[in-house]
Amino acid sequence: MNNNIKFINFFNGHKFFAAVYLFFFLFIILPVFYIFANTFLFDNSLVSNIKQLDKNTFLLLLNSSIVAFVVSLFATFIGSVLGFLLYKTNLKYKGFFKILFLIPLLISPYILAVAWKDFFSVFFQNAKIISSYFGVVLVQVFIYTPLAMIIVGNAFTNIDAHLEESGLLITNVKDVILKIELPLIKPAIFSSFVLIFIFTISGFSVPAFFGIRVFTTEIFTQFSAFYNHSLAILQSFLLVAVCVFLLLTESKYISNASFLSVGSKGTNKKLFPSNNTHILFLTIWFLISVILPFITLVVQSFSKGTSDIIKAFDLLESAVGNSIGFALLASALIVIVGFVAAYYSNTQTKSSSNFFDWSLLIVFTIPSIVFGIALIKFYNRVVFNFIYSGYAIIVIAYVGKFSFIASKIIGNAIKQIPQSLDEAAQIEGISFYSRIKNILLPLILPGIFASFIIGFIFSFGELGTTIMVYPPGKEIMPIKVFTIMANAPLALTSSMTLIVLSVTIFMIAILYSVSKIFMKNYGFYND
Amino acid sequence: MIKFESISHSYKNKNVVDNLNLQIEANKLTCLLGSSGSGKTTILRLIAGLEIPQSGNIFIDKKLVTENEKLIVPPNKRNIGFIFQDLALWPHFTVYKNIAFGLTERKEKDIDKTVFKILEYFGLKEHADKYPHQLSGGQKQLVAISRSLVLKPKILLMDEPLANLDVKLKRKILDHIKNLKENFNLTIIYVTHDHKEAFTIADKIIVIENGKIEADGTREQIKNSKNEFVKYFLEY
Repeated sequence: MNNNIKFINFFNGHKFFAAVYLFFFLFIILPVFYIFANTFLFDNSLVSNIKQLDKNTFLLLLNSSIVAFVVSLFATFIGSVLGFLLYKTNLKYKGFFKILFLIPLLISPYILAVAWKDFFSVFFQNAKIISSYFGVVLVQVFIYTPLAMIIVGNAFTNIDAHLEESGLLITNVKDVILKIELPLIKPAIFSSFVLIFIFTISGFSVPAFFGIRVFTTEIFTQFSAFYNHSLAILQSFLLVAVCVFLLLTESKYISNASFLSVGSKGTNKKLFPSNNTHILFLTIWFLISVILPFITLVVQSFSKGTSDIIKAFDLLESAVGNSIGFALLASALIVIVGFVAAYYSNTQTKSSSNFFDWSLLIVFTIPSIVFGIALIKFYNRVVFNFIYSGYAIIVIAYVGKFSFIASKIIGNAIKQIPQSLDEAAQIEGISFYSRIKNILLPLILPGIFASFIIGFIFSFGELGTTIMVYPPGKEIMPIKVFTIMANAPLALTSSMTLIVLSVTIFMIAILYSVSKIFMKNYGFYND
Repeated sequence: MIKFESISHSYKNKNVVDNLNLQIEANKLTCLLGSSGSGKTTILRLIAGLEIPQSGNIFIDKKLVTENEKLIVPPNKRNIGFIFQDLALWPHFTVYKNIAFGLTERKEKDIDKTVFKILEYFGLKEHADKYPHQLSGGQKQLVAISRSLVLKPKILLMDEPLANLDVKLKRKILDHIKNLKENFNLTIIYVTHDHKEAFTIADKIIVIENGKIEADGTREQIKNSKNEFVKYFLEY
């Protein structure tokens, strides 16, 4: 049967899925297509803009690529070591370390940037050292190392012990790790490198906070300072091209490599013995990447007593509810879109599911600020005023940016469910939605909750797109912090950041507890 | 009862079933015997409607259920039961719920009575509240069979159901399977690569290789087959 017909038939039979797809297409994909089509087909200044893509533009892109390369290299290397120690050794307290090491990844990048700037200001009396490429690299290595740790750690977990044991019969532990394990997890290492590269090269808040000129800040300048929207979009097209090229290379190299897999279970796990050097390394990394920046934030926030914290709280008070509310709403939608995309791509023929996958991927890889531009340009018209001038545009932005991640997490969870469980129900005459509700969803519940929590965290701290689309006068926490940051004393910025961080951690704890209770109540079985 | 007319099916351009013509008699236990990758599981999935062939027609009880690439009767309307190789027991449901789920969805009456009757038949009554991971291999096997039988299928498809069991358990389950045909008035199609299993239970054996029939007949006919492949296959 023709794949396109299958595609249409699938959605004809499943109206809810069709509605979700339509929502994503109309509200998120269309603005992106519109802005690219407008730039390339209808903008009269295209030729002159293309001429502006001169040597300097490409040098800046190269510059940003080098920064992204260095960050990816260090983060992947350290993350791989951490992944091995925490997932593949019998180390004590590894569960504790696994959770705490995730903190830098789970909070907004600008929070860490503020913390590290504080650290250099307090201890070296000189923030210039950190307000440089060095700072951009350092902070982003801390942010993305946990990502590499999860990806590579999960890959280690999934290696069957028999492969290692057969190696141990003929050689030593070191050789087994280097010659058997490493080649087996090479796809995960590559995946991690590519993903971190994309996050870094399209990242905005850290270089913007340190005032470092990279490709994303240049696009922002073209848009906000020079109002040259077409050039900004043209530049962003280059960035998207780099990201898509990398992802294509990655998918060619590792089809079906699992990344961001949460709760995946390997069979026959083998754990290597740990020693004191391992514990020392983990403790040092923990102190540097987690404790140090946050102690600095606390010290800086309370350097003048409680006055800064009180002032910061007054400034943020009105934005807390909004930020939590939008992030919760967005994460619910992110889970729905992510689930539909993941289900469709895992159960339908590859070629027909490509469009949905690619749509999610392209929006994900587009730099946040360019996605913001696309939404503004598309919705800034009378007919869409209810979206443009309200909060809806912010929620749409979050859903667009983070549904890809949810689709990957949920997709990995779906992949782990044997197809026969659904087929057995199908043969028994269980309807499609009943199979989803009673068989699939309970079995992938951890993946659903992980997507929800991650969607919440990312939406809650999102800055790049939000700074472009937030309606004037509306209160959002990251925007409040970012706009005040430029002129406020460092202690006030730190206090605000500390409050954002506390709210984030509080919300993660709440959501995690709710998810645990929910899974228990719904009889989730986990062996 | 089940008829394949020129069925061809391929995965990723590899022909798994090649222009196959096949007839399976009603109320018999037919074994599809063949090595790994011979296409026997695909034949089972084609009967169930879980796969749609690239060409050819499939009839069940003289009714056309699949016509070339068109699925005319979906799996749930074919009145079949399917025992998957991995058994496909829903891990988050108890034994009771695994068996009752299909009945509930079909809004059947006296579900409790029906479920406990079948549990009693297979000696599983005291395990009703257990989850699949709390059962032994043999018990899981019987739960999977119970789950299928409770919906009163006319045809039971079994895909290497004893693959992971030890010899003693295999014998026990094979005895159960032999009795099913009479006690539940079933047509059973049993896929295996183990000719000893086939010779123990089959009324008729069809030897499959490369998606084609190499030989078919009773146990004795297959044992005495002059077909080179069959002779080679039975040697091991």
